[in-house]
Amino acid sequence: MLTALKVIPQLLCWAVLVPVMCRSLTGMSTAVAAAAGFVAGVAGENLLLAYVGGELPFRPLRGICGVIFLLLWGASVWALYRSGSTSPESGQPTPSPLASGAAALGTGVLAGALTLCRLAPLEGGAVRLVPYLTLACAGAAVALGAAYAARFLPQRLVPRGIPLVALVVSALMLMACSVQRLDLFSPLSMEVMKFVHDFVHQFFESMLIPDHPFFRADVWGYIGLLFGDKVGLWGGLALWYLPVLLIALSLRLERLPSVAHIRQGAARRKLLASFIHERRLRLAAPLLALVFLTGAAYQSRFPATEYWDPKPVEVSANPAGQIAIPKKGEIDLEDGKLHKFSYRQGSREARFFVMLTPAGQLVTTLDACAICQPEGYGQAGNAVICYYCRTLIPLETVGKPGGCNPVPVPCSVKGDAVVIDGMTLVNTWESTVQVTAHGKGMGK
Amino acid sequence: MAAIIETSGLTRSYGDICALKPLDLCVPEGEWLTVMGHSGSGKSTLLNLLGGLDRPSGGSIHVRGTDLATLSEDGLARFRRDCVGIIFQQHHLIPYLTALENVMMSQYFHSVPDEAEARHALERVGLGHRLKNRPGELSGGEQQRVCIARAIINSPRLLLGDEPTGNLDHKSTTMVMELLRELRDEERFSIVMVTHNQEVAAWGDRTIHMDDGCLVREERTKSC
Ligand SMILES: Nc1ncnc2c1ncn2[C@@H]1O[C@H](COP(=O)(O)OP(=O)(O)O)[C@@H](O)[C@H]1O
Ligand SMILES: [Mg+2]
Repeated sequence: MLTALKVIPQLLCWAVLVPVMCRSLTGMSTAVAAAAGFVAGVAGENLLLAYVGGELPFRPLRGICGVIFLLLWGASVWALYRSGSTSPESGQPTPSPLASGAAALGTGVLAGALTLCRLAPLEGGAVRLVPYLTLACAGAAVALGAAYAARFLPQRLVPRGIPLVALVVSALMLMACSVQRLDLFSPLSMEVMKFVHDFVHQFFESMLIPDHPFFRADVWGYIGLLFGDKVGLWGGLALWYLPVLLIALSLRLERLPSVAHIRQGAARRKLLASFIHERRLRLAAPLLALVFLTGAAYQSRFPATEYWDPKPVEVSANPAGQIAIPKKGEIDLEDGKLHKFSYRQGSREARFFVMLTPAGQLVTTLDACAICQPEGYGQAGNAVICYYCRTLIPLETVGKPGGCNPVPVPCSVKGDAVVIDGMTLVNTWESTVQVTAHGKGMGK
Repeated sequence: MAAIIETSGLTRSYGDICALKPLDLCVPEGEWLTVMGHSGSGKSTLLNLLGGLDRPSGGSIHVRGTDLATLSEDGLARFRRDCVGIIFQQHHLIPYLTALENVMMSQYFHSVPDEAEARHALERVGLGHRLKNRPGELSGGEQQRVCIARAIINSPRLLLGDEPTGNLDHKSTTMVMELLRELRDEERFSIVMVTHNQEVAAWGDRTIHMDDGCLVREERTKSC
């Protein structure tokens, strides 16, 4: 039952998308193509999940989503470039049945695959038969039902050409961002953050600015903003919204058809007013696209994923002060998931986790980072998330220091056990972890 | 000629006061009809009904073929916007806007403002030199001419005047009447005008006399 709830946002998206596509493209045949695509997408993705496994069913899908987002960027720039030179009369030619069928089919395949991913079990493997079949049927039914609902959609609100593309892409982005492993917004904001940090860093190194007499404390305050974790979010949001905003702008800049041929002033103004009104209505699609993108960013920021978050297992040190955890004991340390442990030395305590990175290295880190409250990490798909600041840390970078990464603790692999020095562990915890008076320290 | 206004059995009562007794009236397209009568005889009531400012208590009222009684509030507003221009005795200009802006306001509610056109309309009523003056800085005759510019800016088919010259002296009255005749001859709209003034009535094609909500007499000022 709960699994059904998980895909409701995606199915809703789908239910909005299909009628719009039906009206904008070729009606019923579009709906049929979309429905077929959805079923094919669901089936194909589940086959991948069942027989390939690991990250492979997700990577290409995420890649495709990234590419279509880039294409949207291109389209938006093109729309803006063209906006001054065309008027709606010369507007988009109606697409050929073949092209619109292919577009609907492609959208359907992607939507189906993305929606199925939402149901994919975190521990890998295919979606079970009942939810799988139900989803396929529901998607197809929604698509076909939407073709009927499309009749009630006012023609003037139906987007064509690039605004339609914006709507489709943003709906797909929402579908993708609901799945943690397909999330595009987090990586985008992370890239922005990295870029800004690197840029500012390089800039300062080359300018030797810290010695500059003009840089007073408050200036440093502003520069500090660039290093805050919000810079990624805001920069990411800007890149996220900009294409649709550009498309809206291009619609707004579109030249109105000429009314100069009408002699009578009142009639001329009336016609002009109706053109302006229609142009305003055409902004509905980009507006809806912005809503979708906001939903996507929200899903990515506050994912509704259940994290893999095992209860810390108490471990103790041997008389030499070494903590040894067998690789294949009760817990399989090398299964790619994080495994939490806690260690107590007198009144001192530290929490840490061990995991195998995708690079095949066993790493040990504190269950905390150097900048946040130690609320710990959970794992979802190919990242761990800091519960405090909601930053996703790709598994590839777990074990490396810096930012909100979990603080690494030196460990060695001796035989079939991981060995950590208890003293080092506790000292690292105490010297790096920020514990405030709120007593959130060992909170979780 | 087709009728622009056709009423049959049109009545309007306020509580138990019957301001308009069943009235059958037909105004052909392009006619200039004058309505005369004592104060309280129901002239304004009739005019408000014709302009879609008020709803009848009974009977039917067709203006350009549409039955105003059946229109919704929105439809009535659209009718007022597109089909009628109204001039009152009190000018009802917006005091803090200039003459030009007052005219453009009317364009704005109709469709979109167009300054050149509004300017041209004011030039047509002979106010090309008072565009930037507020109503308070204009004489009564000038104010009424701004009202005329405002009333005709959206090319109505029907112009209603409720004692438009009631506050004007003889000279201004003649000027306003000449202007109205000129505009009517160019634009071919119909006029229904309420007045107390015999001289003003002489400008129209036909005069009806009302008393106590009834049409009592009808006379043709000249052949049309
Ligand atoms: N809003 C109203 N409420 C009540 N009675 C009204 C209203 N408007 C007009 N009347 C009455 O209807 C009658 C006709 O008024 P009106 O049409 O304004 O006369 P006229 O314009 O010919 O002087 C008058 O007796 C007046 O008192
Ligand atoms: Mg009156």
